[in-house]
Amino acid sequence: MDKVTIRFTLNGEDQELEVSSRITLLDLLREELNLTGTKRGCEIGECGACTVILNGEPVNSCLVLAPQVDGSEIWTIEGLSRLDEIHPIQKAFVEAGAVHCGFCTPGMVMSAKALLDKNPKPTEQDIKLAISGNLCRCTGYKQIIDAIKLASEWLSKT
Amino acid sequence: MLPQIEYFRPRSLDEALMLLAGRQNSKILAGGTDLLVELRKHNPDEFFTIIDITAIDSLRFIRDAGDKVLLGPLVTHKELSESELIRREFPFLSLSASTVGSPQIRARGTIGGNICNASPAADTVPVLVALDAIVTLESATGKRECLVEEFITKPYRTLISPGEILTKIYIGKLPPGAKSSFIKLGRRNALAISRMNVASVLLVEDGLIKFARLACGSVFPVTQRVNGVEEFLLGKEPSVELFRKAGELVAEEMVKVTGVRWSTPYKKPVIAALVRRALCECAGLEVK
Repeated sequence: MDKVTIRFTLNGEDQELEVSSRITLLDLLREELNLTGTKRGCEIGECGACTVILNGEPVNSCLVLAPQVDGSEIWTIEGLSRLDEIHPIQKAFVEAGAVHCGFCTPGMVMSAKALLDKNPKPTEQDIKLAISGNLCRCTGYKQIIDAIKLASEWLSKT
Repeated sequence: MLPQIEYFRPRSLDEALMLLAGRQNSKILAGGTDLLVELRKHNPDEFFTIIDITAIDSLRFIRDAGDKVLLGPLVTHKELSESELIRREFPFLSLSASTVGSPQIRARGTIGGNICNASPAADTVPVLVALDAIVTLESATGKRECLVEEFITKPYRTLISPGEILTKIYIGKLPPGAKSSFIKLGRRNALAISRMNVASVLLVEDGLIKFARLACGSVFPVTQRVNGVEEFLLGKEPSVELFRKAGELVAEEMVKVTGVRWSTPYKKPVIAALVRRALCECAGLEVK
């Protein structure tokens, strides 16, 4: 029914869209924009699989109403890689064996990115806190923490 | 799927109050971390008016007003936990905000929403109750104030009327030298919902307790100050033994109010221990 026109930047590009007022940011990304890297998990803000970066903060896109993003800046997992080159955080996840089934990975990577953007040299405790809103049922988290440490090393060298 | 939604994003409080005055079945959207979950439980055919107040910048502030601190309802848990002013004046408020949900929830969820949603497990509420925090409610026709302790009447129920918006929270500063603590018991560390929580404040002068505040969440039907135990503490010398007794008094009060339930054999000793620890922490005694 109700449609709302919104303008925002998505992965660095300006967007102007007419969206239904009864969909979430997650629906908008996956169903309207075909950006299916952001995963639909619990839809109650507990699993973190749908994490994107909204105005510099990691958020659960399942809990943001699509029209609310008018005027904001959003980064999703698709915005991290450049042409054929994946982002150092993604590379570190591969290197550390932090990807098993992969369902939590985009959300984990976005939480890691939100952390490293603000705190390039996090402690192990900082890392654990930063991913405390992301569930992984495969790895036991160890490899993910290792991956974020590795990404921090790589990023601070460049 | 979400129900049918008519969406408004007012830029001013006046505009929001006008919108709210003329509409049935309207919901105020701030951080959305509770509202979106709730909306999903409704039938897709149902109809709601959503008034998104997040573009009203005048509702987003943390201000030092001399003998009190003023908070706008749109202050997020993240902002609250990181604010220098809050860390200095009410360190246990900052701590309680830092234990809400996850980083993703704290980045969106607001203090106004935590109060208005009125979950019995809300983390900032026991602290606000212990501080005698007051909320301002505004509608198109007027304005009123009430204590947070009185505002929340039942789990998920408050005194707010359909045409009102919570526009301000004010908190009187504590007497100089007062120490505070907040203890949350969750089922795990990450992303935990409070099973029980305790907020306390003590001022010890010349070896005696001169000022005491104690509020417990998820212990009584609503979060409230335990006045009888506060009075019990006044004028006494702080000791682990005194705080053990205070903990037992809270536990007895809980059983008196709620009756013996299936959870009582667990909750009774646990709330006694949480209260003891919270008070020991305030008094700088080793927590046992």
